Amino acid sequence: MKRRAAWWLLRFAAVGGAVVLIALLVVTTGLVPIKASSGHWAITAWFLEFTKDRSVATHSLAVTLPPREAAWLVMKGAGHYEGGCRPCHGSPGLPLPRVAGAMTPHPPALAQLVSQRDSEQLFYVIKHGIKFTGMPAWPTQQRDDEVTAVVAFLEELPHLDAERYRQLVFGPAPAPSSAPSLVATQCERCHGDDGRGRGSAAFPGLAHQRRQYLVNALEAYARGDRVSGIMGPIAAGLRPDQWGELADHYSQLPSEGRLANLSEAPPPDPARIERGRQIAAEGLPQLGVPSCSDCHGPAPHQRNPAYPLLAGQYADYLVLQLELFKERRRGGSPYAHLMDKVASRLTAEQMRDVAAYYASLQAMDGQTTER
Amino acid sequence: MSTKSAQPHLLTCARFALAFAVLPLGKGSTLEPAGLAADRVATLFWVLTIGATVIWLVVVGLALYAVSASRRPQSPRGSSLLIVGGGVIFPTVVLAGLLVWSLSMLPGLLAPAPAGSLEVRVTGYQWWWRVEYLGAEGATIELANELHLPVGEPVELQLESHDVIHSFWVPALGGKMDMIPGRRTRLRLEPTQVGVYRGVCAEYCGTSHALMSLVVVVEERQAWERWLAAQAQPATSPGEALFLEQGCGACHTIRGTAADGALGPDLTHVGSRASVGAGVIEADVPGLEQWLAKTAHLKPGVLMPSFGMLPPPELTALAQYLAGLR
Repeated sequence: MKRRAAWWLLRFAAVGGAVVLIALLVVTTGLVPIKASSGHWAITAWFLEFTKDRSVATHSLAVTLPPREAAWLVMKGAGHYEGGCRPCHGSPGLPLPRVAGAMTPHPPALAQLVSQRDSEQLFYVIKHGIKFTGMPAWPTQQRDDEVTAVVAFLEELPHLDAERYRQLVFGPAPAPSSAPSLVATQCERCHGDDGRGRGSAAFPGLAHQRRQYLVNALEAYARGDRVSGIMGPIAAGLRPDQWGELADHYSQLPSEGRLANLSEAPPPDPARIERGRQIAAEGLPQLGVPSCSDCHGPAPHQRNPAYPLLAGQYADYLVLQLELFKERRRGGSPYAHLMDKVASRLTAEQMRDVAAYYASLQAMDGQTTER
Repeated sequence: MSTKSAQPHLLTCARFALAFAVLPLGKGSTLEPAGLAADRVATLFWVLTIGATVIWLVVVGLALYAVSASRRPQSPRGSSLLIVGGGVIFPTVVLAGLLVWSLSMLPGLLAPAPAGSLEVRVTGYQWWWRVEYLGAEGATIELANELHLPVGEPVELQLESHDVIHSFWVPALGGKMDMIPGRRTRLRLEPTQVGVYRGVCAEYCGTSHALMSLVVVVEERQAWERWLAAQAQPATSPGEALFLEQGCGACHTIRGTAADGALGPDLTHVGSRASVGAGVIEADVPGLEQWLAKTAHLKPGVLMPSFGMLPPPELTALAQYLAGLR
């Protein structure tokens, strides 16, 4: 009895050893085809797909989505999709781009896929990417709000035809642009050909912003000091002299009136604007919050050109920046830390007040005495 | 421990000592009194010390006597006398006497200064002192971390706190008094000798509690009046444009300019002060430059952000402007 068991054990060990040896031999000789051109065997494809689906389903259980009521999130996600996702995943009217078609596995066409996935699964995949597939993680792990914008857009995607997609990404049929080609290819789609951000807080207005601030912002994005998975890669793809070129362009664009006028949002409550005006002018000395206007205007004296102008900017964009400052997730130029303690001491309501005040200002208000 | 690991440790200690080295702001010993209240406190200290010493000597003497006394039996009467007299009556009489005498000092120490005395409001902040001279017509003259007093006159300090509990203590001039948020406490000082004295916060109040000093300058009435008149003047030094340009006016006031911030110290005559940062560094050009560039490093937890990102020439120009505000 004992001898029989030992005999079987020996046979198993011999077979197992032989299998491992052969596997090592196959890998070492380089016989395994790693080429993408031939695709997967059906069984490999099924196994990888099954593993991936199970992994995403399980890991996305822990995801809590950030709030995504804001209507402009879809537009923000669309703007990024066109530059960051479309080259591989295609878009309505352009199902699978040529190069992506040569990848193994093929990047899926998302319109059909998203209806089979819940929002948390989309969020998980966009934020973390998928190993061995060419799907990258979001370039920063600190901007869940940006990931959420892409989720919001993807959930709209199944309802879009080619024309509606084009409108969402580029806005109403644009006049032939007179802008420099760099602006046309890199910036205009989102920030508008007039530099005013296409009427929603998805994209900040840049027209007539101060040149130094714009250069600093692009440099900070490029170096990763200002944290963004959307603007970071765009800025990092520019040469340093192009930062100046773009800043020249936008700082010289005229910007009269309020950007908020462009948006369809209901006008804010005058009492809110008044509360915001007080905070901007006097700060909240009891809470240790200084005035905003000494650095950001309106104020009669000259101000450091590294401090951005806020007059006429979209309120939701300003609130987002304050929240990011408060959570230490914004970053920025070497001047950005000036805002840390200020934003930390503001409540969500006070942020909305002060943002509503700046959004209500005529853009020129803050720019009367700039150097 | 090997020398290799000990050396960095020593270096760290040295750096710490350097970072927290205190500026020689003035005399700060409670045993060299220069004010009426401090004088009484010092007297109390010496009397209590001497009293305690006497008791100690007697008790130790008795203990030695008990050990070395001959084996010959003591009379019960003598023993009872010794135990009751030395163990009960003597300490009771001495301690009660000292208690009554020290309590009798309190009314004098707590009495407000006579009506019409100089009144100064001092407000504690994390971690500095706002000082406001209350003028006759309701006008206030504001400065920070520095108090000038005329010699030989009682002064009434109104003590308040902006945030947490602080305690106002100038050891050479008087006792401590807590500064409590939402409440006003009072302290009477009456300096008796001209000189410069150091004050401190005597109640732990956060990260930079140890870096919260106050300078008290006691001078002759005439010199003090000249000083106060100078402090009442608006700023005279030119060059505020750079100060305003960086947004400094959001937190700081410089009277006579557009800077009207209420968060931080009034800087109208900051160049005339012994230090900036409540005793952290000298208020001269190199000191101010350091302070502007490395604020959070010099004073951990400070509300003011560091301005080390400014180009060095601008930092120097700012420091020169501030040092010029005399």
